[in-house]
Amino acid sequence: MRALTDVTGENLRQWRESQGWDVPRMARELRKAARDSGEDVAAHHGLVRMIPQWERGNRVPRERYRLLYRQIFGSGLGDLSQGMALGADVALRLAEVRSRAARLPDPDQIRALEAAALAKPRKTMTPAEIRALAAAAIGHLHEVAGKLGELSALLGEDQS
Amino acid sequence: MSAREDEIRRVVAELDIQVAEVEASLAALKALLAEDEVPNEEDPA
Repeated sequence: MRALTDVTGENLRQWRESQGWDVPRMARELRKAARDSGEDVAAHHGLVRMIPQWERGNRVPRERYRLLYRQIFGSGLGDLSQGMALGADVALRLAEVRSRAARLPDPDQIRALEAAALAKPRKTMTPAEIRALAAAAIGHLHEVAGKLGELSALLGEDQS
Repeated sequence: MSAREDEIRRVVAELDIQVAEVEASLAALKALLAEDEVPNEEDPA
């Protein structure tokens, strides 16, 4: 894993999202790591305010917070990349994209959104455009499933 | 970097694009539905 001096706010966001954590959960994890190592950190609501600022790059986390990030993600990213025999940056990117893919709805949920959108006349989109949008989304969902399968095969994961 | 890692990078990049396409379509559909919750400003008072 890289030293945290060259970690960007975008990396912090990707690390958080690779676990599927929202900002309050990230704040709780930082406070838990701080408790475990006897560190004194900001209150939960203060962290909830600071984390998005760090992730946007508006502020740089102080050393003690950088160490807590390393404590939380360092071993996990190391395990992940070693388990897959990949560089940590690829393993991280893979985890982040897979996490986003896992949060996508299934085709039936997209069809339900389409039906709700078609239930009334819309100012900004015609029914044909709405149908095309939903069909494209479902098409891309199938592509996502295909790419996930391709990745599993490349990683030698059991798909049964 | 190994050929396998290159291949994984390529598939992850393609997956990222497809996920982003679905996310964008979903956002557009949800934005349409959100119109239902906004009072019509053109209605006469």
